[in-house]
Amino acid sequence: MKRTLLALAASAMMTTSVMAENIGVSMAYFDDNFLTILRNAMGDEAASAGGVEIQFEDARGDIGKQIDQVQNFVAQGVDAIIVNPADTSATPRITKLANSAGIPLVYVNRKPEDKELPEKVVFVGSDEVVAGRLQMEELAKQMGGKGNVAIMLGELASNGTRGRTQGVKEVLGSYPDITVVEEQTADFQRSEAIDLMNNWIVSGTKIDAVAANNDEMALGALIAMKQAGIAASDIAVAGVDATPDALASMKRGQLFATVFQDAKGQGAGSVKAALKLARGEKVDTIVWIPFKLVNKENLGEFLDK
Amino acid sequence: MANATDVAETNAPARKLPVEANIFLVLIGIAVFFEVLGWIVKGDTFLFNPQRLLIMVLQVSIIGLLAIGVTQVIITGGIDLSSGSVLALSAMVAASFAQTSDYTRAVFPMFTDMPFLVPVLAGIAVGALAGFINGSLIAYTAIPPFIATLGMMVTARGLARYYTKGQPISLLSEEYMWLGSGTIPVIIFLMAAFIFHIALRFTRYGKFTYATGANVQAAKVSGINVGRHLIKVYTLAGLLAGLGGVVAAARAGSGQAGMGLAYELDAIAAAVIGGTSLAGGVGRITGTVIGTIILGTMMSGFTFLGIDAYIQDIVKGGIIVAAVVADQYRQRKRAKV
Repeated sequence: MKRTLLALAASAMMTTSVMAENIGVSMAYFDDNFLTILRNAMGDEAASAGGVEIQFEDARGDIGKQIDQVQNFVAQGVDAIIVNPADTSATPRITKLANSAGIPLVYVNRKPEDKELPEKVVFVGSDEVVAGRLQMEELAKQMGGKGNVAIMLGELASNGTRGRTQGVKEVLGSYPDITVVEEQTADFQRSEAIDLMNNWIVSGTKIDAVAANNDEMALGALIAMKQAGIAASDIAVAGVDATPDALASMKRGQLFATVFQDAKGQGAGSVKAALKLARGEKVDTIVWIPFKLVNKENLGEFLDK
Repeated sequence: MANATDVAETNAPARKLPVEANIFLVLIGIAVFFEVLGWIVKGDTFLFNPQRLLIMVLQVSIIGLLAIGVTQVIITGGIDLSSGSVLALSAMVAASFAQTSDYTRAVFPMFTDMPFLVPVLAGIAVGALAGFINGSLIAYTAIPPFIATLGMMVTARGLARYYTKGQPISLLSEEYMWLGSGTIPVIIFLMAAFIFHIALRFTRYGKFTYATGANVQAAKVSGINVGRHLIKVYTLAGLLAGLGGVVAAARAGSGQAGMGLAYELDAIAAAVIGGTSLAGGVGRITGTVIGTIILGTMMSGFTFLGIDAYIQDIVKGGIIVAAVVADQYRQRKRAKV
């Protein structure tokens, strides 16, 4: 209670003194490549909004540390908190902390597992299911609506694996002539994907397309094909993430397609949502930042991102 | 257990089968199991496909290299938990010296287009150094090998990530990637197995290794410098993990900090399935090679049958334990005869 009062007093002081917003951000990891792009985009957005103070903390994947950081932000009386959850199952505690202090809270990138987000708590991210849909739509077009597809699953307990695979299957619902002939995991790893693809090729099942849950596995599948003497034009392989390696592979005419997850869009979107909430404006509970399909036609715009 | 088997062998010279015969039977059993299921489920052969036989070994050659190292460590009565992480660190270092100059964001722009031996030696050296540190810690601070190598497991993984802040190192030279192409990883694995099999069975190095694991006190009394010998064994295990990293990066055409995650456990499983006793003093490279191939057979078998990805590991764990139980049971029975 004392802390809440203190926080209220502090926030009142801050808003009256400089009229500038203060945002506290707790990131799951500082050293993750994707999250670094996202974090930089937050900083840029805050700078361009003018007079917005933004403070970043690294939770190092530790949910306990993240909760401490959020508590500190509450005590500091920031105007809004942005959390990139270290563990999505622990978000209800964070939600409660911010909500009881009346501070707006924005979750970014990883979807919180709260049953329902209260007022002034929102999620900004991308819908994994859409990534799977975009990927499979593009493959289905290439396959002419018929043939055999193999699905390479990521790490089995991950949101990405579940969502993306669900998206792939949703699309397949409208293509009765496309059959899923294989569905196995390669743990998001390139090396594992080489072995898995080798085994598929040896099984002799005809595969027309591979829908991989991420780019690393798609690249692994292509390495296995190359060693088995199968041309990239014989099996269309698609991934998700649009990593530099994947884009380079597309440029060489190897990888067929990938899906770009908009780290910049998510970072900027989260700061925008936080500012709106801090100013008392309404924001949708979930703000989807769209995934973007990358294919031969639009590869150029992603190569230099 | 070794003594019991020896006794059985002297009692029944007509049935003088090597210890590995048992575990080889387990391998055959698993293979036949998949063969039969293959005909029932898919109407296709599992074993009579030379491509698949190659892949069964190819996909575990890197784990096999780690397993050869950890077998020797376990024979000395120790354990090495760091091999998977050391593999990742070596893969990163090797890859950073194998990049081509047409990559604009090379880790070391001045070290691109290097002759292929440079990344290979760099990777192996990093592995050997990590192993040397493991061995020195164990020999001179007397901390348990479990703790020393656990520390290295965490540190080496951290270093692998820190090296490029988690970024993969890609666009490696064709020359270097040759090491990971076709049957080369299998050849490297089998050559390493052959060398260390000879070393363990016919050299002083091997005698010291078994002696240390069987009874440290006796080994010391008989004049073996146990500390120095342990450093040798752990350094070689690290070197093999380094070699594994070199091959892994060549195979994937990329060095990645997440490589070899939990490989140390597969390597230990391969050694133990192959008859290496965690109590020390017992174990052979031939057994470890068979143990490794059992893991590869299971991987291929599961994919072949299209077993649901969500239940594969559950079955795999069961088979690993069952294989060792079956082996122990057969050995005990033989010892009684």
